[in-house]
Amino acid sequence: MKTGRKKGDIWLVTAVLAVALCLFLLLWLLPGDGAAVEVTVDGAVYATLPLDTPTTLDIPGKNGCVGTLVIADGRATVTHATCPDRLCVRMGPVSRAGQSIVCLPGRIVVTVVGGTPAVDGEV
Amino acid sequence: MLKRTGCFVLSLLLLAVGLAGCASFSAVSPHKTVWLDLFDTVSSLTVYGVDKADFEAGAKALHTRLTEYHQLFDIYHSYAGVNNLKTVNDNAGQPVAVPSEVLDLLEYGVSAYRRTGGRVNILFGAVLELWHDCRVTALETPVAALPEPAALQTAATHTDPAALVIDREAGTACLTDPLARLDVGAVAKGYAAELAATYIREELGWTSALLDMGGNVRAIGGKPTIGGQTPFTIGVQNPNTDSANAYLLTVGLQDMAAVTSGDYQRFFMVDGRQYAHIIDPDTLYPAAFVRAVTVVCPDSGLADVLSTALFTLPVEQGLALLRQFPEAQAVWVLTDGTLQYSDGFNAYKK
Repeated sequence: MKTGRKKGDIWLVTAVLAVALCLFLLLWLLPGDGAAVEVTVDGAVYATLPLDTPTTLDIPGKNGCVGTLVIADGRATVTHATCPDRLCVRMGPVSRAGQSIVCLPGRIVVTVVGGTPAVDGEV
Repeated sequence: MLKRTGCFVLSLLLLAVGLAGCASFSAVSPHKTVWLDLFDTVSSLTVYGVDKADFEAGAKALHTRLTEYHQLFDIYHSYAGVNNLKTVNDNAGQPVAVPSEVLDLLEYGVSAYRRTGGRVNILFGAVLELWHDCRVTALETPVAALPEPAALQTAATHTDPAALVIDREAGTACLTDPLARLDVGAVAKGYAAELAATYIREELGWTSALLDMGGNVRAIGGKPTIGGQTPFTIGVQNPNTDSANAYLLTVGLQDMAAVTSGDYQRFFMVDGRQYAHIIDPDTLYPAAFVRAVTVVCPDSGLADVLSTALFTLPVEQGLALLRQFPEAQAVWVLTDGTLQYSDGFNAYKK
C-alpha cells in the first residue's frame, strides 16, 4: 500500500509537470504582444515589419503624401510626413497589438499586429 | 490509488483541453473594417458572431448610409445633387430645402445648446471659421497669426441660435442672419454614430459590435463570452502621446458610448504656443482648462456634445453641468496629468 501510494505520487507529479510544460510551451510559442507592424496604403498591404528590428521606411501614400516610419526600441513612430496636417506624427509611438497610426490624406495605416489587443478600442 | 491518480490526470487533461478551448474561443477573430473617408477621421467597425458574407454586405450598407450623413452634414464641401449644410451656409439669409436628416441634426444641435447652457452652439460657425483658417495656416506654414480680437468680437455677434429657423412643413432650414454660419463639429460625428448604432441593431440585427468614429466609440451589446457578453475594453488615451503608457485607464462599455475631447491631437502651434481646436464660447479663444475629458453615456450623440461642453469649462462647473445628466459620467485629465472622476464613474472603470 505504501509503495502504491508512492508510485501514484510519482505519476501525479509527472502528470502535473507534463501539463504545466504543455501550457508553458503553448503560451511561449503564441506570438507576444505587438510582434510586428503592418503598413497599408489605401487598404493594400505595403509592408510588414518586425518591431524588434530597428528600421526607417519612407511610405509613399496617396495624394503625394510620404510618411517616414521609424522602428526603434520595439516601438513604431511616424516621425515625419509631407501631408499638411501631420496628425500621424502626433499620434506618437505605437507598440501594443491593435494600436495604429493613420495618415488620412495619404491613406496610410500602420497597425501593430501579432498579439492579443490589450483593448477593443480607444477614445 | 492508481484509479484515483488516473482520475486526477484525466481531470488535469480536461482542464488543459478546456483552457485551450477557451483560448481558441476568445481568439475567434471578429470581422473588422476601417474607413478613412468619413467625417475627416478614421472610423472602424468590429463585429462578432456573424459570418463573413453577412458582415461585408452589412458593413457596405452601413458605409453607404454613413457616407450620406457625411455629405449632408459637411460644411466644407459641396456634392452634386445634394443640398447640405454648406448649401445652407452659402445661402445664408434665405431658406434652403434640405433632406429631413439635415433638419433632424439641426434640431439635435439646437437642443444641445439648450441642454448644455450654451456651451455647445451650432451657430458658432462665424467664430470657428476664423479659428479654422488660423489652424490650417498654422499646420501648413510656420508663420501663422491668431485671429484678430476685433474680428472675433464681430463674428461673435452673429452666433445667436435664434438665427436658425427650421421649417418642417416646407422642409427648409434658414439662417436669418446673412453673416451667421453653421458648424456642427461638436455634434455631427456622435449623432451619426448613434444613428449608425440604431441601424446596426435594428436593420442589420447585429448584437455584438463596436463602432469607432474617430474617438467616438459606440458599443452595440458587448463582447461575446461563454454564455453571454462582457463589456468591450476601451482605453482612455494618455494626452502625453509619447509616454510608455498609451492609456491612463480602461473602461468597460456595453450598449454604451464613450467620447474624448482633448488638446493633444487636433492642436496647432502659433509662436511656439499650443492651442486646442475647441473654442471657449465665452472668451472666443481655445479652451485650456483641462488636457482632456472623456464622457461615458448610453447615447453617442450626447457623449459627443457633453465632452465638448465639459472641455470648455473648469472641472467644478463641468461637474455641475454633468449632474443634470444622471445617465452620463466623466473623467478629466487635468493639466498636471492627474485624473478627476465624476461620482458614478467607478461603474465603468476596468
